[in-house]
Order: sequence, then structure tokens, then C-alpha cells
Amino acid sequence: MASAPWPERVPRLLARRLPPYPPPPPTVGLPSMEQEETYLELYLDQCAAQDGLAPPRSPLFSPVVPYDMYILNASNPDTAFNSNPEVKETSGDFSSVDLSFLPDEVTQENKDQPVINKHETEENSESQSPQSRLPSPSEQDVGLGLNSSSLSNSHSQLHPGDTDSVQPSPEKPNSDSLSLASITPMTPMTPISECCGIVPQLQNIVSTVNLACKLDLKKIALHAKNAEYNPKRFAAVIMRIREPRTTALIFSSGKMVCTGAKSEEQSRLAARKYARVVQKLGFPARFLDFKIQNMVGSCDVRFSIRLEGLVLTHQQFSSYEPELFPGLIYRMVKPRIVLLIFVSGKVVLTGAKERSEIYEAFENIYPILKGFKKA
Amino acid sequence: MNNTAASPMSTATSSSGRSTGKSISFATELQSMMYSLGDARRPLHETAVLVEDVVHTQLINLLQQAAEVSQLRGARVITPEDLLFLMRKDKKKLRRLLKYMFIRDYKSKIVKGIDEDDLLEDKLSGSNNANKRQKIAQDFLNSIDQTGELLAMFEDDEIDEVKQERMERAERQTRIMDSAQYAEFCESRQLSFSKKASKFRDWLDCSSMEIKPNVVAMEILAYLAYETVAQLVDLALLVRQDMVTKAGDPFSHAISATFIQYHNSAESTAACGVEAHSDAIQPCHIREAIRRYSHKIGPLSPFTNAYRRNGMAFLAC
Repeated sequence: MASAPWPERVPRLLARRLPPYPPPPPTVGLPSMEQEETYLELYLDQCAAQDGLAPPRSPLFSPVVPYDMYILNASNPDTAFNSNPEVKETSGDFSSVDLSFLPDEVTQENKDQPVINKHETEENSESQSPQSRLPSPSEQDVGLGLNSSSLSNSHSQLHPGDTDSVQPSPEKPNSDSLSLASITPMTPMTPISECCGIVPQLQNIVSTVNLACKLDLKKIALHAKNAEYNPKRFAAVIMRIREPRTTALIFSSGKMVCTGAKSEEQSRLAARKYARVVQKLGFPARFLDFKIQNMVGSCDVRFSIRLEGLVLTHQQFSSYEPELFPGLIYRMVKPRIVLLIFVSGKVVLTGAKERSEIYEAFENIYPILKGFKKA
Repeated sequence: MNNTAASPMSTATSSSGRSTGKSISFATELQSMMYSLGDARRPLHETAVLVEDVVHTQLINLLQQAAEVSQLRGARVITPEDLLFLMRKDKKKLRRLLKYMFIRDYKSKIVKGIDEDDLLEDKLSGSNNANKRQKIAQDFLNSIDQTGELLAMFEDDEIDEVKQERMERAERQTRIMDSAQYAEFCESRQLSFSKKASKFRDWLDCSSMEIKPNVVAMEILAYLAYETVAQLVDLALLVRQDMVTKAGDPFSHAISATFIQYHNSAESTAACGVEAHSDAIQPCHIREAIRRYSHKIGPLSPFTNAYRRNGMAFLAC
């Protein structure tokens, strides 16, 4: 899934004008209504962003500022930026986006989804620009900036009330702040790759659910197909289904662990299927407390990495014992993710409870890895 | 701690009779390992053979001492606790070993979480494998610790200078490599005695021993062997650096007599010039390093010999 430019990267000028707003907790599976409202905020932020430039930030810090955008949308206090990742998810899978057009491209506009139009017009009384589209997740900061430049709303003072022309020239002050944005290493909270659109793919999801009833493992093993049960070796039934291809460990207490799915929905679906199997066997199985325990993602940065340099400069986070394991183990603190980085450029991320953590971790590590690129 | 082996000063060190005619040789692997630890691109074969002898001798003696300790407590296998016991005197090296054990545990935990098959296998194996090495170490040190200083090591967060220096050396080495050389370097770094476990076992002739080491103890032995090689390379590089007389060095006239004697002895002159011509570590560097390492310096050193068994000091512990 590709990444959209985060307007908050564009300087936190907004902070000057608006009091900070406490960030709501990120929600998973954000409904599209909120997602549109989020996009609106992005626009508004863009506009206000025209005031100046923000100081560069270390990629390891989480941005505090985006929340100030909430002020603009006081009516949507629940919109969380963290929701963006979910938004990205629902937007479907975008393959790697070519960022080479940064920062002076207008063509992005063409890729816009005219999704939020109606919302924007509600909120944005001044500008009813039909072109004020929400940048699709595949857009970059630039796209947003350009979009917002076409909005003339009360929040933006820099903009000459541009018309609906979505071709606001790149030479607008926008590009300044945008080019700044592209070089400002801020930590986005969404899977925007400021790099080249590499997005980690999920490889494995481990989840647990409570069926809330005592189970007779022997009966299950006898009647269910694809079930193994060897009480001497392990006190659980191992069941497998083909679609989605997963494995479940079912314990007599009613707790179940489901592994092998490639996405959250698949994991949930698989867990439900297992629960149904158990139900059909006559147990009053329910589906309580479904929780994703671990998510594993992987990707390839496509260049060799000099691990000796990385382990030296990031000693407190990394351990590299090539005689033990060929990869460097990097324990990122925020988000709390463990990355396995290999010389070939492959990166495996694990320990996440949410997809956004994987994306965020990768965004954090990518600039660091680029610094140790082996020519 | 010392061993009863022959003095390292003789070129053909035959450790205890069982090494003569042994067909198992780690010389090629050692050459790769030495390259990854800081030696030249193609370490000398003679150096590798010498290092192999030294490591073999030290390990055999370590095993013997560990077997004695095991016997003392009436056990039938050499366990990691025995090895930890032998290492109790040297804090730094013990700490390094503990860190290594923890990292091994941690790595198995992570890799398990990634691959679902691993996860299943682990669950099926029945025992709780998480942090097993850490538990072993902690329990044991708990039991022998009288003064609390051993347990303090678990919380200790000091930087390990030796490891730091090795990391820096590796970083310097790799900075100038191109990607093909770097790939090769990485492969060399991945070589270890634990990868060739069965060859390692045979090399140490474990099957002829009465008391054999168990699995975790073998891991530790492989690690100690690697550490020995690493220490030898570290020391040899230092010695080589010393050997190069720098212009303006006020102490160049004060190089020790034994050192000069080394240089003039028949075997060494053939192997190494005064200034090393190639970048590789020469056997004379290794020998000098061991000599210096074993040499106890201090006011009471002439009087400690009675309590010291003859031979070289252990490098790894």
C-alpha cells in the first residue's frame, strides 16, 4: 500500500496559530466518514502551512503537532492521524509509488480521488473547489500542497484565492514548504514512504480468541478433519484450514491461537471459521476478545547495507552477531518493534500489534539504512 | 587459569598426543575467521595452523578441567554450569559469555515468532525453551555467588571495550570495501565453530572422553573457541603494531631482549621479516602475543610459579 504525503510534515506552523489538541487514540478500521474528515484536516493544515517553514525533526520522534490540526475540525475530535494507516488499508493496495516527481509535480492531481469533496465543501465554506480532492494515499506532500493551494479558505492567508485550477503552479510558495517537507525528516504516523514507496508486506499474523467454553479436545480431534492431537506432546489440538491458509492451536480451556494469516481481516475470518468448526461439533463456542498478538512484515530496500557501521552507531538498539545469526537485530523503541536487517537489504519487522506500527518502524529505519548503503 | 600443555613457544604444538595425525583441520575455516576478525584478505596458512594448535590445546585443557569439576560434583555430563564455574574469575570475559547466551536466547525467541512452523515446533517440544540459557546462567551464578559481584553482572551495563574495539575495527575494514568484497566479508563473519558442530566435536575428540559435554555446553565451547581466535587476532595485531618501529619513537631502543631473540630465532626469520612485508599476521606475532599474555607481570610474579601449572594462560577465560 502506498503512502500519502502527510500534511503535518509540512511545517507545524499551525502550531503557532492554534492551540494544541489532545490526540485521540488511534482506531483500527476507521470508517470512511472519518477518513474523509481526516483528509479535510490535511488540506486545512496545508493551507495554514504556507506561513513558513518548520524546523527539521529527527525521524525518531513522533510528531506531536499534527494534533493541532484538529482544531480546524473541532467537530471531529475523534479523528486520529493514526487512523491514516487504516485509511490506507481500505483504499486498497497501492503498489510502489514513484516519488521522483517530488516536489514539483502537479500531475498527482490527476490521481486524486474526489472522495471528500462534499465534506470539504461543508467545512470549507469559502472554497468550493471541486478540485479540492483528497490526495489519494498514493500522493505525496506535494500533491496536498498543490491541492490546498487551490483552496482559498479562511485558514490560509497566503493563498491568493486560487480558482479551481488544480494546476497551481509549483512555483507557488507551496513548493517551498513542500520541498522543505520533502527534506524534513519528520516521522510520519502513516505508511508514507518519503523514500520510494516501499511498503512492508505482512507475512504472518498471530491472533488469539476466547471461545469461552470448555472443550473436549479428543472429541474435536476425532470428528474434525485436518486436526492433530497428541496429548503426550502438547496439550492442544492443531487444526488447519485451507482458506485462508492458517493453523490454529485450540486448548481445552477454550482459548485459541490462530497463526499464518496475511492480514488482520484474514486472521479474524480464519478464527471465525475455526470457531464455527468447534461450534458445529456441538460446543457452545463464542467469539470473545479477538486480539491480534503479533504481526510480522517484510520488505526489501534493494541495496546492500553495511551492518558493521549500523551496529556501531546504533549500539544501544542493535546487536549483530554474524556467527550466530546473519541479520542485525534492531530493537526500535518507538514504536516497539524488532527489526531484522540483513546485508542483502531485506528487512523483517516483528512485534507489532497494529499495521501502523510496522509502517512507522520501516519509515523510521529507512533513512538510517540509506546512510549505511553499501555502494 | 593455566593448562598443562606444552609451552606455546614450540612451533609444532602437539597438545596431548591425540592431535598427532589428526585428519580434522580447521585451518581453512580459521583463515576465513581471521580475515573477518581483522587480519589481511588472505591470512597465512602457517598462522592458521598455529592458531588452530593453540585453540585446540586450550580447549582440550579446558575440557579436562571442566570434566574434573563435573566429577567433583558427581555428574555424568559436562554442563554449562561447569564452564561458568571455570570462568568465574574473569568478570569481563564471563560477562561477554553471558551476553552471548542471552542474545542466543533472544534470537531464538524472535525467529520463533516470525515463522509459524518454528512456533509450532517449539510448542510441541514440550519444554519451556524461552530464555533457557539465561535461566541456567542465572540460577548457577546465584548459587555460587558469595559476594554478590557475579549477580551484579546481570545488571551491569558497561561497555565491553574489547567488543567495542572489534566493532570499530570491523567498521573501518568494511568502510573501504566494495559490495562484492563486503559480501565475501560477511560470509566469513558468519563462520563459526557452532556451524560445524559435528566436525568441532570430532576435532575435540569428545567421543573418547568419559564425561561428555551436553548441548548447551558444546555451544559455549564453540563460543569460547571463537573468542580465543578473536583474542589471538586482537593481540597479534597489537604486537604487529608494536613491531613497526616508528620514527621518533623514544623507546625503540628499549625493545625487550626476548623480543629481539624471537626475531633472530631460526624459525621466525623465515616466517616474518622485521617489518611485516605482507599485511597478514605472521606466526611470530601470534607467538609473541601468547608469550606476553602468559607472562605474569607484578611484584609477586617470581613467587607465584609454584602455584601455577606450566603452560599458557587461557585466552578465552
